[in-house]
Amino acid sequence: MSKGIKPVRLKYKVIGRRSALLSIALFISFILLSNQFDPYNQSQLANIATLLIAVLSITLLTGASGQISLGQGAIMAVGGYSAALLVTRLGLSMWLAFILAIFVSALFGLFLGLAAARLSGPYLAGTTLVMALAIPSIAVRFETFFSGDVGLSVDYGVPPTWLSNLVGEISIEQWSLYVVLPFTAVALFAVLNLSNTRTGRTWRAVRDNEVSAALSGINIGRTKVIVFACASGLAGLAGALYGFRGLVAPSVYPTDLSLTLLTAAVIGGLRSIGGAIFGTFAIVFLPDLIEKITKNFAVPESVGNYLPSLTIGVLLLLTVILNPMGIAGAAGHLRHHRKH
Amino acid sequence: MVNLWADSGEPVRFPRVVFPRPWQRAVERVNAVNLRKPLILTMIASALVGSLAVSSVSASAASDPGVSDSEIVLGMQLPQTGAASPGYNKVDDAARAYFDYVNSKGGVYGRNIKLAVKDDTYKAGLTITSASKLINEDKIFAFFGSVGTQTHVSVIKDINRRKIPDIFVNSGFSGFYTDPKKYPTTFGGLGTYTVEAKILGKYLKEKFSDKKIGVLYQSDDFGRNALAGFAAAGLKFEAKKTSASFVAGTQGSIGLASQLSQLKANGVDVVIIAAVSSATAVAYATAGALGYKPSNWAVISVGADATTFQTILGAKGVPAATSAAMLAGTISASHSPAAGEADDEYIKAFKKINDEFNKGPDKRWDNNVFQGMNIAYLATEALMGVGQDLTRAKLVSYLENNGSKLSSAALAPLGYSKSTHEAFTGFWIGQYDATTLLAPVDGKRVVYTTDSGSGAVTVSNYKRPAIAADALPKVA
Repeated sequence: MSKGIKPVRLKYKVIGRRSALLSIALFISFILLSNQFDPYNQSQLANIATLLIAVLSITLLTGASGQISLGQGAIMAVGGYSAALLVTRLGLSMWLAFILAIFVSALFGLFLGLAAARLSGPYLAGTTLVMALAIPSIAVRFETFFSGDVGLSVDYGVPPTWLSNLVGEISIEQWSLYVVLPFTAVALFAVLNLSNTRTGRTWRAVRDNEVSAALSGINIGRTKVIVFACASGLAGLAGALYGFRGLVAPSVYPTDLSLTLLTAAVIGGLRSIGGAIFGTFAIVFLPDLIEKITKNFAVPESVGNYLPSLTIGVLLLLTVILNPMGIAGAAGHLRHHRKH
Repeated sequence: MVNLWADSGEPVRFPRVVFPRPWQRAVERVNAVNLRKPLILTMIASALVGSLAVSSVSASAASDPGVSDSEIVLGMQLPQTGAASPGYNKVDDAARAYFDYVNSKGGVYGRNIKLAVKDDTYKAGLTITSASKLINEDKIFAFFGSVGTQTHVSVIKDINRRKIPDIFVNSGFSGFYTDPKKYPTTFGGLGTYTVEAKILGKYLKEKFSDKKIGVLYQSDDFGRNALAGFAAAGLKFEAKKTSASFVAGTQGSIGLASQLSQLKANGVDVVIIAAVSSATAVAYATAGALGYKPSNWAVISVGADATTFQTILGAKGVPAATSAAMLAGTISASHSPAAGEADDEYIKAFKKINDEFNKGPDKRWDNNVFQGMNIAYLATEALMGVGQDLTRAKLVSYLENNGSKLSSAALAPLGYSKSTHEAFTGFWIGQYDATTLLAPVDGKRVVYTTDSGSGAVTVSNYKRPAIAADALPKVA
């Protein structure tokens, strides 16, 4: 028999401290992990930190406010291009470009939200999917400005001397992790914190029952638009960080990036931040794990190259059918059962 | 633990899947659970998953990675699968076949050459990750024969920054090679599109001075390079009239009908194609469907491989005899003997090695297989030339100083020097005959040479050295 939900502690100050502690814990654990890893896995950790921000945007959008988006990859492209253009055409510093990219994509999300506020469910999913397909090709259509197919070559640069003096010689891969992590920590803090604020409760109300929420005086349209803007800001930041791995071009933000992010969110658990972390680890490390296993067998190229995406697709199917709450849901289920 | 995401208790609904009773009860029990947020628990789980994939940290090597007493590891990135892969996915197996032959004869100073290959499906995001894998996990000595201009752009800066040799890149984009100060370790493996376009353009301009010449090109650096070469040869096109472009990679989905209709409407009688092989195949098929019959087609070599052309059309249901007839009369250029020249000594030797050592899924002899083996021959030659003491820096400086003296099956020398890392600097003009063999125009083969800039096109007097009896390169 269920004992019911533990009462939620509404004191803002306490939650703020907890969110900050968790974000700092993530930051430190990533750095400690990276010190144990070889350079390739350090770059994979940086990938995880980057994609985590994008998956958090999906958790925010879908988990916290119930709107579905299959086009976060396109918004990543918007963020990536903003940052890259600011650096290559205007000569701004990389850090400033990242921060400005958040605002540009949030603005983009605002306009997107204005259109999407009227849509829901499969219609919203379809619209965002079209976005994922169409937006990267704008760069090719307006070639002279966006550098078309070849894209804009950007990177994180080299570790500054003050850092090398502080922590010793670090590889280029570990430097990329150092660049991304502060943003990841702040994004995590923001998302964690949001849940117990009034805004977070408003979003959950809109998610669970629009009619009741409207009756309670919540402006549904405005809420949805604001959610889109916030989630787009996060996705844009992720896109900017992702692009600076080496290239910002349409082929860096293909349609299956959006779908992969959604898969990560679903596998981990759509409403859970811990799930977002697990899901991101899964989509980044699973292909490597599979390659390690298949290396020992004589698998033909045409099969071996598709095995990772096949496995992740099967995982997604299994999650949706058997365990829609994702890994976080299953873990919660275990805890729940242990109490009885 | 604070309940961070309290909800109204309604389970998340997904499309209902109905199972037999006992299963259904289990699924529903899971579905009915209220969400808990074991954040720390999932973080630990994530770390465990992560640690499974981690390879052990290896001690740093004193010498360059990828070289040991027993082997040299080279790395290649190419589209093995995906839209851009037809034809190009044979290059790695062909190169590996030649390396296996070399290893069977004792390798290079006792070292076996090993080729590590990664598929990037022509997507730059994957190229970055797989390059990191090759560098850090496979610990390659050098990048070899990477296929794809677009994708190579995403990694070339990092490769050069790490001072890893990037030899015989399978791209004719001159931007990679004409500034060795920017990319000191990158060396070409194909004649640049600009050089080829200049030579081809001059020929077409003189031969078809009375006809209207138009161009269909893919709007990326490959296409633009070619246009620059045509312009240097004096061939001018008018956008939207005699010049039509399309987004690289979309040829399959858009069919190129509007581009070809535009050329037809403007009375273009000689059509030049500067695009990959799959686009050439689509263009011919669409032109046939539109009833557009230009008197001559001319195709840049990279997009004119006969076998790929026939395979792609074959997949659309066009029989081989028909596609061969479609290709007949097409003008193209090459820096090497045509793959179909069965009497050429290099081709005979390479074919034999291919038959015996190629373990790939498709080892039918064509230009791609030839190119793979030829750059493998060149790589072996370069590694031999450096000597027993093999380092990355030595390989780079050897290529820069001696590249032009290296022999291969090509009928033009490599153009490597301190001021440029462009590969083959000479092309001969050919026309496809009824048997899909590229035969020299006017019966006699003349190799022309020029630069990527504004230099004139002249006749080359390079004499290709004979191949050794054991088909291994010989270095002084």
